[in-house]
Amino acid sequence: MFTGLEFEAVGLPPEAEALRGEVREFTSKELPADYWPNADFNEGHSPDFSRKLGERGWIGMTWPKRFGGGERTFFERYVVTEELLAAGAPVSAHWIADRQSGPLLLNYGTEAQCRRYLPRIARGECYFSIGMSEPNSGSDLASVRTRAERVRDGWIVNGTKIWTTDAQRNHYIIALVRTSPPSDDRHAGLSQLLIDLYADGVTVRPIRNLAGGEDFNEVVFEDCLVPDDGVVGEPGNGWIQVTSELGYERSGPERFLSAFRVLVEFVRAVGNDPRRDEAALIGRLASHLMTLRRMSISVAGMLQQGGNPAVESALVKSLGNDFEKLVGELVRLQAPPGHPGLERCLRQTLLHAPSFTLRGGTREILRGVIARGLGLR
Amino acid sequence: MDRLIEDTAERIFADHVDKAALDAAESGEFPNALWQVVRDSGLHLVGSPQSGSELADLYGVLRVAGRHAVPLPLAEVLIANSLLDEAGFTTIAVDGVAPWARIADRVLTVDGELSRRFDAEPGSNLAGESRDRVVLFDTERVDLPTDLRERMALCRVALMSGCLERILAMAIDYATEREQFGRPISRFQAVQHNLAVLAGEAAAARCAYDAAVASVDSPGFVHHVAAAKARVGEAAGIAAEIAHQVHGAMGFTHEHSLHHFTRRLWAWRDEYARESLWQEMLGLRIATGGADSVWDFVVDAG
Repeated sequence: MFTGLEFEAVGLPPEAEALRGEVREFTSKELPADYWPNADFNEGHSPDFSRKLGERGWIGMTWPKRFGGGERTFFERYVVTEELLAAGAPVSAHWIADRQSGPLLLNYGTEAQCRRYLPRIARGECYFSIGMSEPNSGSDLASVRTRAERVRDGWIVNGTKIWTTDAQRNHYIIALVRTSPPSDDRHAGLSQLLIDLYADGVTVRPIRNLAGGEDFNEVVFEDCLVPDDGVVGEPGNGWIQVTSELGYERSGPERFLSAFRVLVEFVRAVGNDPRRDEAALIGRLASHLMTLRRMSISVAGMLQQGGNPAVESALVKSLGNDFEKLVGELVRLQAPPGHPGLERCLRQTLLHAPSFTLRGGTREILRGVIARGLGLR
Repeated sequence: MDRLIEDTAERIFADHVDKAALDAAESGEFPNALWQVVRDSGLHLVGSPQSGSELADLYGVLRVAGRHAVPLPLAEVLIANSLLDEAGFTTIAVDGVAPWARIADRVLTVDGELSRRFDAEPGSNLAGESRDRVVLFDTERVDLPTDLRERMALCRVALMSGCLERILAMAIDYATEREQFGRPISRFQAVQHNLAVLAGEAAAARCAYDAAVASVDSPGFVHHVAAAKARVGEAAGIAAEIAHQVHGAMGFTHEHSLHHFTRRLWAWRDEYARESLWQEMLGLRIATGGADSVWDFVVDAG
């Protein structure tokens, strides 16, 4: 009988748990006493903090030592990332390079690329952005129009990427581009190029979001020359490579912790003798959080075994994002007045909530991925 | 859990539980033949000290039982046999109600009273499963683990988790076979998205169950069970609603077997305390720890 998607029963091993105390000690020492925690992995771009994490060996943890990695397990990485998020540490600078650009280079990059970029990423000095969406290609990624034309010593890139988080602060972008004209196979002819965001022909324009922040950008390429050694993997293999990133991109604790501060501040506001309905709300949210965490750890186990858990990751992200939205909506109804900390978190979460189910794959795309995993399409 | 035990349970239940057996049990007829097969296989002793199996195996058998809506009071029998010497058929009562007390040899209450002499007035839950009202005479006190209610709640979690897998499979099969507008309804995006949500709830239930089973004998057990019963109870409501929507009017008929599973989900989410009570318990514990310990609690539920 078909029994659904497999999430193997996996808990964190002791060597991973052992790191928890170290990370807590580190954050309490490195973050100022009056530090107001970030709500989200997208907030807090701090090269200084990222470098200190690098010194501790907490970036590129699972990578080979010869590339500056720590050869540690995905479970150990899991503990470090969830502790940093729970503390609201400023992790956005290195986050994407650590989570998916580095693993992508390890899987598909050349030895030279790995040597050139991975040690700098692991030291917390080198930051990456994701170049997937375009003004006319959002969820329909295969329709990207940014094109790269072969020239004698590389590729000439023209086109526009959009919603590129931290492109105005990061060093590189890995862009999905068309290297041969569209054909009947929509997924053919795509390639990934590693491009220096400071190169000639690259213009980065921040886009203000509805909350007033400037996290994402438009990145325009005009006759930008990318040398041959900027190609990641095989030209034409871009689609497979891009989809292989998604297991890393979608399953982590950042996909259900964006509203965690709201829960914390709600607990602070109601105090240690809550009304029954207040206690029930706390318990309900905790029951979701504990379950999502378990699912996410199970996916870390699949990554550890070298699997490609694209469907399971889509499921974690989909459930996680719906939960993040639920937190704001439910706490809002019961938030007692006169608690500035809670009010501040709630405002931020409610204003950012629309992005939760859009970034990194919309709810609709994720449900489609899950339906395919169920054999429905 | 032990793969061999799980496979044995799967084989026995698949062979012996069908719609006719479910209807018969619901009309008040105890499934003697099925009970005999279960006893002959030794499944009724899984998790008991003399069996060499573990509590995780006991809950695992119940997950399989939930997949088949087995019309026996397996949770009560297995837990009773894990606590007392086996002496015939012992059911467990909570708030004065016990499954199949009308034919039981003994009634054990979750508060630690054991009786061989009792009155049983037949009653049933939303699923038509026997839930008899009992009055005990000549009770003796027995020492029971303090977390017996949590163990029973985890039994319901296990049953619901298995049951959710089954209704997911049924909904996928039905959507793939049923044609409307010239194609299987599984081709429609609206239906696909509903099934994706159903699959998510079934997977979440499975993971909440796994977390609770993994915490057996640890200090966090009570809290993991609270989280699991609360989360899986929510999943049951969402998933049953979608399963029925996908099955259309056909699934609303008595003739179709879907209701044997969905009515059980609706019944089990209420038994051994509905979601709200577990949420309150969990929330109160978290609030008592204070805001700066919320994360600690999420991480180890201690």
